[in-house]
Amino acid sequence: MPDIVLAAENLTKSFPSGEREIVVLDHVSFTVRQGEAVSIIGPSGSGKTTLLGLCAGLDVATSGTLSLMGFKLNAMDEDDRAYVRNQFIGFVFQNFQLLATLTALENVMVPLELRGEKGVEARARELLERVGLGDRTHHYPSQLSGGEQQRVAIARAFITAPKVLFADEPTGNLDEENATRITELLFQINREEKTTLVLVTHNLELAERTERILQMKGGKLVNERILTVA
Amino acid sequence: MIEYIIKIKRKTKSLLRDPWVWRMAWRDGRHNASRLFLFIASMITGIAAVVAISSLNYSMQQELNRNAKELLGADLVIKSNKKFDSTFTALLDSAAVQQAANADMASMVMFMNTGQSRLVKLTALEGDFPFYGDLITLPDDSYAKVRTGRYAMLDESLATQYEVSSDDSIKVGSSIFRVAGVVRKIPGGGELTSTIAPVVYIAFSELDSTGLVQYGSRVNYNLFVKTKTEQETTDLLKRLRPEMKQRAYSFDTVEERKNDLGDGFRSVYRFFSLLAFVALVLGCIGVASSVHIYAREKRDEVAILRCVGSSGWQAFNIYFIQVFALGLAGSVLGAALGVGLQQLIPLAFGDLLPVELKFNVQWVAVGEGLILGVLISVLFTVLPLVAVRFVPPLSVLRTDFNAERVISKTKIVTLFLIVLFPVLAAAYQTRSFLAGSLFTAGLAVALGALTAVAAVLLWMIKRYFPRRASFIWRHGMANLFRPNNQTRVMLVTIGLGAFIISTLNIIQSSLLNQVEFTGNSNQSNTILFDIQSSQREGVLKLMDQYQLPRNQVVPIITCRLASVKGVPVEQIQKDTSLRIPNWALTREYRVTYRDSLHLSEELVKGKIQWRGGGVVDSVGVTISDGMQETLRLDVGDSLVFDVQGVPIRTFISGIRKVDWPKDPPNFIFVFPTGVLEAAPQIWVAATRITDTQNANRFQQELVMSYPNVSLIDLRLILSTIDELFGKVAVVVRFLALFSIITGLVVLAGAVLNSRFARVKENVLLRTVGARQRQIVRITLIEYGYLGLFAALTGMVLSLAAGWLLATFFFEIKFAVDVLELLAIAAGVMLLTVFIGWFNSRSVLNTPPLQVLRREG
Repeated sequence: MPDIVLAAENLTKSFPSGEREIVVLDHVSFTVRQGEAVSIIGPSGSGKTTLLGLCAGLDVATSGTLSLMGFKLNAMDEDDRAYVRNQFIGFVFQNFQLLATLTALENVMVPLELRGEKGVEARARELLERVGLGDRTHHYPSQLSGGEQQRVAIARAFITAPKVLFADEPTGNLDEENATRITELLFQINREEKTTLVLVTHNLELAERTERILQMKGGKLVNERILTVA
Repeated sequence: MIEYIIKIKRKTKSLLRDPWVWRMAWRDGRHNASRLFLFIASMITGIAAVVAISSLNYSMQQELNRNAKELLGADLVIKSNKKFDSTFTALLDSAAVQQAANADMASMVMFMNTGQSRLVKLTALEGDFPFYGDLITLPDDSYAKVRTGRYAMLDESLATQYEVSSDDSIKVGSSIFRVAGVVRKIPGGGELTSTIAPVVYIAFSELDSTGLVQYGSRVNYNLFVKTKTEQETTDLLKRLRPEMKQRAYSFDTVEERKNDLGDGFRSVYRFFSLLAFVALVLGCIGVASSVHIYAREKRDEVAILRCVGSSGWQAFNIYFIQVFALGLAGSVLGAALGVGLQQLIPLAFGDLLPVELKFNVQWVAVGEGLILGVLISVLFTVLPLVAVRFVPPLSVLRTDFNAERVISKTKIVTLFLIVLFPVLAAAYQTRSFLAGSLFTAGLAVALGALTAVAAVLLWMIKRYFPRRASFIWRHGMANLFRPNNQTRVMLVTIGLGAFIISTLNIIQSSLLNQVEFTGNSNQSNTILFDIQSSQREGVLKLMDQYQLPRNQVVPIITCRLASVKGVPVEQIQKDTSLRIPNWALTREYRVTYRDSLHLSEELVKGKIQWRGGGVVDSVGVTISDGMQETLRLDVGDSLVFDVQGVPIRTFISGIRKVDWPKDPPNFIFVFPTGVLEAAPQIWVAATRITDTQNANRFQQELVMSYPNVSLIDLRLILSTIDELFGKVAVVVRFLALFSIITGLVVLAGAVLNSRFARVKENVLLRTVGARQRQIVRITLIEYGYLGLFAALTGMVLSLAAGWLLATFFFEIKFAVDVLELLAIAAGVMLLTVFIGWFNSRSVLNTPPLQVLRREG
């Protein structure tokens, strides 16, 4: 049986709003196998970003259980979850989320430096070379285009050789040409590194490149492998 | 499913053992220093104020210790207001110690070159005074010449003022003296004393020849003693003390003089150091405010760091290292500025210092400033930075996500330490825990009162909002109520600065108003004293001749207390439980007699009872309220006065409240008529001189005809007080300015803090068609309101504080110079508008889309 790296069981997330309770995620259950590429699709407000946040340990579910790499994230405190993220998870965001005060090279090095590893610069340079930014290592995010910033983000995401890569609309802020390049890059490195990919997107074309599609609607997981997006 | 059994080996790394946070702090901070400009500015102003004042204190103490003996000029000074009796001098002679003497008294001096005259302190010197320190004269042999006969030396400032040179002569009493030179420096002297009472020096042997020492003359006699060791001084004092007490002589030792000067200076120092402390507290608010803004700006970056695995503490440490390092840099700069300012303060009020200060860096003060800076950098940055620890990583996905508020242990401990900090810091500044606690409580009350006034003002604005005003005026005012605008905080901080400056102004106005009685049409501004009974008619005739009104002509009789409430003074002196000060028991009282209350008096208890009223062999006298408290007397209590050897039994018939500066002379004891008329007496006449030329001619003739009669020009005293207060006010204003500057730094911080909200509003306004000019006007109007209300907040409270201080502390009439207060308000308003506008420029001058992109 293939290894399960991510298992969600009856995940529910609700927020108090005045006297009412708004349920944004309603008893969602699914699993993701090691090396698998899964996309989560759904209309705005369907709960897909909330689900990604919970799966990546960025937030805690109101009820249900979530296991990532064997860790019960719900039972851990924020700093322990941060440790798990640093050890096993990579992120690519729609808004790139680079540290504006650090150069491209420094941004890429941060996760490994956080681990206290030595000689991380060479690995960061190599990754920047792989994403085609070998000559832009000392540029600050503000000196890079959107596509280049996302490539730096991809390099940062892969520098720790993560077990799972979470990507939130990775091409959402890019033009078509850059979007295509980033998609190719993302899937290429993902294949090479044998990383599990969990992708949240509106883009059906992008979703179709994954092996499985989970469709969300109204906070519920309504289907798997269904390609129609509302 | 394979469960990864991985035990988390994460260990919380301490700040010092985590090189990554240091690296990140450097990387992030290298482009961020300018963002923390406000933080550094707050630190610099606060620390500079404290270091400057503290350095001044240390320099002063050092100089006092170094020049202790020079302050007195001898090891021991024995003082008396009558000639030392021969038994006593014989006793001192037997001790075989070196001696010198002097006598001083107030006297008129006429400068023969110009015919002008002036009241001076006449000092007659004898012997080799000073034993310590230098008597510096110009030319050098001036004192040697003075000792040979009819020569005089003048204070340098007096000689300059009246253009007197070595060839000139002066008339002192009935004698003419050649000027031997000027005195530049003398132990116990100084610019302050010479400003208040310029001195003319003559030889002791020539004093009698002046004819000034007559009945009723107030002469102070001093004996200067030099001993070989401190022990010898102590032993000598031990022997002399009972003799001195018996004769009502007093004494001064080096240590006492040092302490007296030290105490005097310490009071001033405490006041100044507390002003500096206010600047420091405002600086702390500035520090916390600017770090709060910084932490808010860093929220997104922290979320990213949390996302890639940084712990809350690691994120916190990155920014803590930055602000701590900058805090340290700010403290060093502040300390350096403080050292520089310390050199400037003596320039501003050097005349008021008892010793000359030399340029030197007080490393203890610098060290204190640095420690204080480090403490502030830790305490006041931790609180706003703690929020960094709890930035949710989910913010990277949802920028509007706000985590629940967390009350951490760090926050609670920090808050406790922050409350404790001002108490300890003020206690250290004032070297007294009680003073520190009281001051902190006072500051808390002031801040609380300012907050209350600000709240009431804001409520009134809301309640009476000018709904019919034009859009721009309404919008500018409505902006004060923008959420998170910190309007109240700004009203309090800027208001505190305005409060200090305007309270100072009110006190100055009240004090000056108190002595400005000379400007009132009918009150006396000139006092003639030491008029002998035989001279009375002549002097009055001279006054009539010069058409000077006889406002008061009162007799003065000198006497001493023999017993109080039936107990002899000697017995009371021995009984320490009575707590009546010795000086009040042994001093010479100058009393008068009259049948009515003077216009400066009010009977608060009892009645003006005439001779024989109720008690056959006793005389009812009235006493001033202050001395009644000192002597612990009440209506009906008995007193026996020794009037020139004749005991006169009296009882307190009434207590008068005396407005001392009003129409002098005023008296502690007033006898009824019909008791003292036969006693030896002198006269005092009070008049009003308005024509200066007439005054000069009158003064000239008075000195020529009645050399022993002295004349006090109260206008001269007024200008002296004004000059002295002016000097103190410069320093106080200078220090209050620190508070204002720090308040403005806080304002700049608050403006930056509300920048996001402003940008959104302005962009919205511009989108719906507002012109650039209109937006600028709205912004200026908003800051105008802010400045106005801050000034009002401070001033409302300063009126209350000024009234309390004037009424209960200074015990003077409360007076306000409305124009000056309006000028202060206008100044605060203009500064606020300028700072507000200066910090809003980028928001005002950039196109909406560019701003939106940048802020987005």
